[in-house]
Amino acid sequence: MSESSSRSAEENGYFLRAEGITKIYSDGTVALREATVELRPGEILGLLGENGAGKTTLTKILSGLLPPTKGHVVSPRGPVRFSSPREALDFGIGMVHQHFALVGTFTAVENVALSQERPLAPLQLAQTRAKIEELMEESGLRVPLDVPVEKLAVGEQQRVEILKVLSRDVDLLILDEPTSVLTPLEVDELFRFLRRLRDEGKAIVLITHKLKEVGSITDRVVVLRKGEVVGDVRTSAVTTEELAQLMVGKALETRAGRAVELSTDEIPAHAPQRHREERGPGVLHVENLSVAGDTKPVAVHDLTFDVYGGEIFGIAGVEGNGQTELVEALTGLRPALKGIATINGRNILGLDPRQIYKLGVAHIPEDRWVLGLVLPFTLAENAILGVHRWDEFRGPLSILRWRKINAHVRSLMERFEIQATGPSAPAKSLSGGNQQKLIVGRELAKDPAIVIASQPTRGLDVGAAQYIRDILVEMRDRGRAILLVSADLDEVLALSDRVAVMYEGKFMAVARPEELDREKVGLLMGGVSVGGKA
Amino acid sequence: MTAHEARSGGRLLRGAHRTLTGLHPVLESVLAAVLGLLVGALLMYIWGYDPWRAYWALFRGAYGGSYEIASSIARGVPLIFTALTFSICVRAGMFNIGAEGQMYVGAAAAVCVAYFKLPPGLHLLVGIAFAAIAGAIWSLGPALLKLTRGVNEVISTIMFNWISRFLVFYLVAYVLVDARQGQRTVQVPVSARFPILVRGTDLSYSVFLAVAFALFVYFLLWHTATGYEVRAAGLNPTAARYGGISINRTILLSFALGGVGAGLAGAATTMGLPPTYAIISGLPELMNLGFDGMAVAMMGRNHPIGILVAALFFGGLNAGGRVMQFYGSNPVPLEMVRVVMGAIVIAMAIPELVRVFPAIARSVRRLGGVFRRDRATEREGA
Ligand SMILES: Nc1ncnc2c1ncn2[C@@H]1O[C@H](COP(=O)(O)OP(=O)(O)OP(=O)(O)O)[C@@H](O)[C@H]1O
Ligand SMILES: [Mg+2]
Repeated sequence: MSESSSRSAEENGYFLRAEGITKIYSDGTVALREATVELRPGEILGLLGENGAGKTTLTKILSGLLPPTKGHVVSPRGPVRFSSPREALDFGIGMVHQHFALVGTFTAVENVALSQERPLAPLQLAQTRAKIEELMEESGLRVPLDVPVEKLAVGEQQRVEILKVLSRDVDLLILDEPTSVLTPLEVDELFRFLRRLRDEGKAIVLITHKLKEVGSITDRVVVLRKGEVVGDVRTSAVTTEELAQLMVGKALETRAGRAVELSTDEIPAHAPQRHREERGPGVLHVENLSVAGDTKPVAVHDLTFDVYGGEIFGIAGVEGNGQTELVEALTGLRPALKGIATINGRNILGLDPRQIYKLGVAHIPEDRWVLGLVLPFTLAENAILGVHRWDEFRGPLSILRWRKINAHVRSLMERFEIQATGPSAPAKSLSGGNQQKLIVGRELAKDPAIVIASQPTRGLDVGAAQYIRDILVEMRDRGRAILLVSADLDEVLALSDRVAVMYEGKFMAVARPEELDREKVGLLMGGVSVGGKA
Repeated sequence: MTAHEARSGGRLLRGAHRTLTGLHPVLESVLAAVLGLLVGALLMYIWGYDPWRAYWALFRGAYGGSYEIASSIARGVPLIFTALTFSICVRAGMFNIGAEGQMYVGAAAAVCVAYFKLPPGLHLLVGIAFAAIAGAIWSLGPALLKLTRGVNEVISTIMFNWISRFLVFYLVAYVLVDARQGQRTVQVPVSARFPILVRGTDLSYSVFLAVAFALFVYFLLWHTATGYEVRAAGLNPTAARYGGISINRTILLSFALGGVGAGLAGAATTMGLPPTYAIISGLPELMNLGFDGMAVAMMGRNHPIGILVAALFFGGLNAGGRVMQFYGSNPVPLEMVRVVMGAIVIAMAIPELVRVFPAIARSVRRLGGVFRRDRATEREGA
C-alpha cells in the first residue's frame, strides 16, 4: 500500500469500516445482523463471541471472501467491494484463516511464493525464501521450509499461513483464531510481533476464545452475539467478567445446566486429584514403541507408558514432536516401526481403525478438516462416521436407519449445543467451533473404554470448552481412560492426573501436575531436562 | 413493521434462498444444455444451415409423438447404464472411463446365450447375469492394478477399452460369428430377448432393468452403510480411513458395480435391440455408448435420478438427430448432434456455471458505466 493512502486513513481515523453488514447464508442462516465495526490503523482489535456468533463470517466479508447480503464495507476513500481475496490483498488486507488455505503438496516456500505472484509471473523462490527467513527471524514463527506442508503438524501449517500473509505488506491483518494451535511460547512471540506491527501503524484484527489473550494484547474489543455487535469497548475499560457477560448475553449463569466460570481464563483444576492407588486397571499399554514420521525417519522414539482406567494422562509438548505420529499409531492410521501397544491386553498394532474402535476406542483427531469430518456430508452423515456399522444405525441388508440417526444427531446437537439448521445441514456450513463440537460429541457418545483426544477443545468458546472438559473428567470418574494430547498447557496441567512432556519423540518427564509448573514444563518442552524426573 | 412481520419476512426470504440453492444443480444442467444447443445453432448458422428448422426437426424427431418418445427412451437405455458406471466411481472418488470396454465384453457375453437352450425368461435372466458378470470381471483389471500397483485408473481403463475393443472384434469375427451371416454374430434366441415394449419401436423391457438399476444404485449409495462408505471415501479418503472404512474395499466395490452397469448396457444393446439381436461386425450399435454415458452422468450430476432425466435428453438428441439429418432440402448432418453433446459436456465442466451469468451481467453493467461516463465527458467537452 502506498504511503498516501495510509496517511489519509489516519486522518479519517479508520482504515476500513464495515457498515450495517447483514449476512444471510444460502440456507437461510442469518450469520450477521446490521453489524458495524471500524478498523483503525495502529490498533489491535479483538473480536470475541461464542461459537457461531459470526466472527469468521465478518472477517470473510472484510477480506473479500464473501459478499454481504446487506450493508457495505467502506474505506475513507469510499465504499470498497472486493470480488476476490486477491483484490482485498492488493488493497492491503490479509487474512489468516481458521482453516488453512494451503496447497498441501507444496512446500512452505512455494506456498508463500504462490500467494505473492501475479498469475503468469514466474515464481521467485529464492527471493521468497530470503523473505520468509527474515520474517521468521522477526516474528519468531519457525517452520520447516522444504517439506510439503501437508506433512507438517497443524500448528506448523498455521505458522506457514501466518507467514504467507505477513510476507505481503498488508495494512490490515486479520487473524482468525491463530493461537488455538500455538504453544504459549509461540503465542508470546506472535504477540510481540503483532504489537510491533501495530506500532508501525497497521490495523490488526484478532479472533480468539481466550479472554486472557484479549486482555493482554488488544486495544479494543468488539463482542458479537448471534450476529449482532453487542459491545465495542476499549480493552482497558472492561473486565474479563464484563466481556464474558456480553458474550453470553445474560449474567453468568448456567449453560447446559451448569455454572460456568467465565471470570478468568484459569481453567479450574479438577480437584480432587486422585492418588495413584485409586486408579483402575491399565487400559492402554505402550512399550518401546517407535513410529516413523512423514519427514523424520523416527518421530516417536522407544516410548513406554501406560494409561489406566480412571485417569487422564496428558501429553504436553510443542506440536511436531511426535504427538501426531503417536496418536496415529495408536489409532491404526500409521504403522509402527517396532514395539508393543495393547488395549485391555489386546494387541492394536497392525489393526485397522475399525478393529481398534471395536476394542472401545474413541479418537478425537487433531485436524478436523482432514480427518474428523467429511465436509460436504451432512451433520447426520458425519455423526455416524466410524459408528455407521453399529446395529443402532444399521438394519438388515446394511440399510441405514436414518430416523434413528437423525434422532441421535438431534440429541448430540442438544447435548453439545451444536448450532446448525438441522441434521441435514452440510458440515461445511457449521462454524469452526460447532464442527469441533460435532466431532467431540460423536466420539464421546460412543462411551468408549479409552478416549484418545488431540486438542479436544481447539476452537471452542470458553463455555463449550469447559463443558467438554467436564465431560472428560466425568468419564474419567466413571473409570474410563483418557489420553489427552494438547498444545494448551493450561488445559493439560488442569485436567491431567499425570502429565508427560514430549520432546523429539521422547518423554522428557512424566509427573503429577502438582509437581510441575508452567516454567518447568516450558523448559521441558524445549528439550531442557530439569531435575527431579518422576 | 412489527417484529412479527419482520420475522415472517425473514422466513420467506429464507425459504426462497433454500429453494434456489436446492435447484442450483438442476439449473446448472439446464443451462449447460441450453448453452450446448446455442453453440450448435451458432455452428449451423456459420455453415449455412437453418438452426431453427434443424432444431425443430430434432425436437419433433425426439419427442414429437409416442413413437418418437419411445425411440428416444430406447436410445437412452444403454446410456443410463454406462452413466451409472461412471457415476458410481466418481462417487467413490475415481475417474473410471472404462464403461466402453466393459460394455463390449458384456455384449459379447450376452450373445453367448445363443449356444444353449433354456426356458424363456430364465434364458433372459441367464443372459443378463452373463453380461453383468463379464462387465464386472473386466472392470476388476483396472481396480486390481490400482490396488496392488497404484496404477492410475484413467490410464488403465483407457488401455482396457482398447484391449476389449479388439478382443471383441476378434470374437465377433472368428468365434461368435454366425456361419450364415458373416457380418454379425449369432443371434440371441427369442427366449432370451427382452420383449418389445412399444410395438414398432426399439423400446424393449430393458428400460425397466435400467430404471431398476438406477434406483438400486440410488438406494445403495444413500441408504446403506456400504454406499455411505463409498461416498465418504470418495469425498475425503483420509477421514474415511479414520472412520474405519477400507478404501480398498470401496474401490473394488465401486469398480465391480460399475462393471455390472456397463455389462448390462451390453446386454441391453444385444438382447434388447431389434432387429439384429446380435453384435454387428465393427460394433456400430455399441460404439461410443460408454463415452456418451459419461456426458449423461455429468449432466445428471452423478445422481441416479438426474441420470434418468439426462439419458432421456441425450437419447432424444440421438433419436432426433436421425430425423434431422433427413429433413428439408439442406439437412444437417448427424455429427452436429455430437457437437451439441460436446458443447454440453464442456459447459458442465465450467465450475459454478450459474454464477457465470451474474458475472456477465456485472461486466456488462460496468461496460455500460464506462460508456455512460464517456458520453458524459463528451457532453461536457461539447
Ligand atoms: N457456508 C455456510 N452456510 C451456511 N451457514 C453458515 C456457513 N458458514 C457459517 N454459517 C453459519 O453462520 C453462523 C456464523 O458462523 P461463523 O463461522 O461466522 O461463526 P464464528 O463466530 O466464526 O464461530 P466459531 O467460533 O465457532 O468459529 C453459524 O451459525 C454458522 O452455522
Ligand atoms: Mg470461526
